[in-house]
Amino acid sequence: MKIAIVSSFVPFVYGGARYIADWLAQKLLEHGHQVERFYLPFVDRTDDLFDQILAFRLIDLSSACDRLIALRPPAHVLPHPNKVLWFIHHIRGFYDLWDTPYRMAPDNPSGRAIRACLIELDTRTIREARRVFTNSQVVAKRLLNYNGIPATPLYPPILSPERFHNDGYGDEIVVICRIELHKRQWLLVEAMRYVETAVKLRLCGTSMNSANIDAIRATITRHSLQSKVILEDRWISEQEKIERLASALAVAYVPQDEDSYGYCSLEAAHADKAVLTTDDSGGVLELVSNEINGLVVPPDPRALADAMDRLFVDRSRTAAMGEANKSRLQQLGVDWDTVVRALTS
Amino acid sequence: MNVLVINNAAPFIRGGAEELADELVRRLNATKGITAELLRVPFRWEPAECIAEQILLNRSLQLYQVDRVIGLKFPAYLIPHSCKVLWLLHQFRQAYDLYESGLSHLRGHKAGERIAQLIRNADNQCFRECRAIYTLSSVTQSRLRKFNGFDSTVLTQPLVDGELFTGGEYGDYVFAGGRVGPGKRQHLLVEAMRYAKTPFKLVVAGPPDEAAYTGRLEKLVAKYDLGDRVELRLGFHSRHAIAKLVNHALACAYLPIDEDSLGYVTMEAFCAGKAVIAAEDSGGVLELVHDAETGFIAPADPENLAERLERLVSDRSKTIAMGLAAKSLLNTKNLSWDATVDRLLSS
Repeated sequence: MKIAIVSSFVPFVYGGARYIADWLAQKLLEHGHQVERFYLPFVDRTDDLFDQILAFRLIDLSSACDRLIALRPPAHVLPHPNKVLWFIHHIRGFYDLWDTPYRMAPDNPSGRAIRACLIELDTRTIREARRVFTNSQVVAKRLLNYNGIPATPLYPPILSPERFHNDGYGDEIVVICRIELHKRQWLLVEAMRYVETAVKLRLCGTSMNSANIDAIRATITRHSLQSKVILEDRWISEQEKIERLASALAVAYVPQDEDSYGYCSLEAAHADKAVLTTDDSGGVLELVSNEINGLVVPPDPRALADAMDRLFVDRSRTAAMGEANKSRLQQLGVDWDTVVRALTS
Repeated sequence: MNVLVINNAAPFIRGGAEELADELVRRLNATKGITAELLRVPFRWEPAECIAEQILLNRSLQLYQVDRVIGLKFPAYLIPHSCKVLWLLHQFRQAYDLYESGLSHLRGHKAGERIAQLIRNADNQCFRECRAIYTLSSVTQSRLRKFNGFDSTVLTQPLVDGELFTGGEYGDYVFAGGRVGPGKRQHLLVEAMRYAKTPFKLVVAGPPDEAAYTGRLEKLVAKYDLGDRVELRLGFHSRHAIAKLVNHALACAYLPIDEDSLGYVTMEAFCAGKAVIAAEDSGGVLELVHDAETGFIAPADPENLAERLERLVSDRSKTIAMGLAAKSLLNTKNLSWDATVDRLLSS
């Protein structure tokens, strides 16, 4: 089958959304399909929101391929008679983040009209799809709540998970993801003020906005945390990632109401590491259960500090939770055969 | 600096333009301080009326985090950006020379003239806003001048794998590479071999355009009993195999009819320090091959070619000197990826 995978991207910003398309393309090829993958630029900006969406709508691959798999918004607006969605999030500033500081337009008649129009447009174009999958329960619920469309979670695996391994449990709690406000690395740095053990925190990642990095660096300096917090503000290589995870004590991933469990949680599981997360982290909680394969605490520096100390002190417990993390993936059906079957049937 | 290379894409089809775009991104990424990515926008040109939508869609896309854009093809290069450079592979010829010659699909369309005008307007507006316009060949350059009134600089595509053409010992054969067909006239070389008295070999290697031409060459070899002096290796060869044949040749021969560009075969030979025999009517090739300096230019007939081939073989030191001069000439043309990338980033 000739399959086109279409997703949106911000050039030069790398992250989970790119991997999902790249890896899916590779797996579909392995299953004997012809695959074209298109990333089209999209910026979350209200002024030209509809112009940009219009551009996506005008891209017509209906005679070029047998099936269209659309990922990141607004790729779902592309017309195609055989469209399947693996919907990974809404344009959230108009959906679940509307009543938060991340709202993308003012709450006035004009802003509300833009919001209503976007929701209407999304609903209509999502309904054109033959099947709608999401990357999590969280996103499936949102589709039902806001668009009235039922969807099935299809958990995205990582490529070649066997690359990851476990070299034992060191002193570092490792965070490998983009350094953005909503990923809340700053909360973990705050927590490091209150730890009472020799536990260390290692942050790896780049940011869309260098101010985020500056703020974290300033916090480290202000509270003299240089010996406890290691900041690697760059895009580390896959090999480095494997090594950081292999010797980690555990992994922390504490985003605010994230849509899905995050590749960093999966990578942790494949390296037999427990995940420390917060009770408002959204999709991460579909993977992590408190005291089973990680710790779930309130998004509060002192609570996080206490959890980090516990991970450090009770290592056998931490190791057991790390091992339980891997079996949790089988339970959820996080594997490529499941994904390919769903998206091509 | 973040550099975005923009190309259009016909889904599931790959050709020279795609190879060039990928190579450009690789070379940009190998440049200090540069991060490059390729953006491919699907393009559909049929039915003709959808071209208006294609223009609109590309103009509606927004770029963020991009410091510089290098646009390659219509209509993807219409995506707005304040720091845009074009390296035009070619224009959308359906609205230009093909329209004029009646070969465009817009000619038969009831709104064809208006669509062609729309394309030209969109192009002109984009060209005005560009920092610089480079064209891949002088043909594209003159079309751009003629139809749009814009000046441009020819920026020839460097060899993708120039590293392979290192040169080597000067052997006892003359090598004729490239596609094999009537347009490249390898048959003149084969025929020339019947007049050449000095002992040396001619090696012809490359993919044949048509089976009939292969037959013609084989018949010539048989007819003049040249089996031990002419080696025909017709078919696909790896780039490494071709480079090896060039690197160990005494010299090369390339006789295209009125070529648009310098010709890869010439560039590969020069890169390896080999003199080239070309014909008087070989077009762009003569920008590199200068008679008795970097090779020989002969009238396109077997007797004259034979005479030049004999001169190559009988005065080896002169042949080697011409080969080295060829290499330096190529270097002065700055046809390296470094120089090309430099041009595309500096304007």
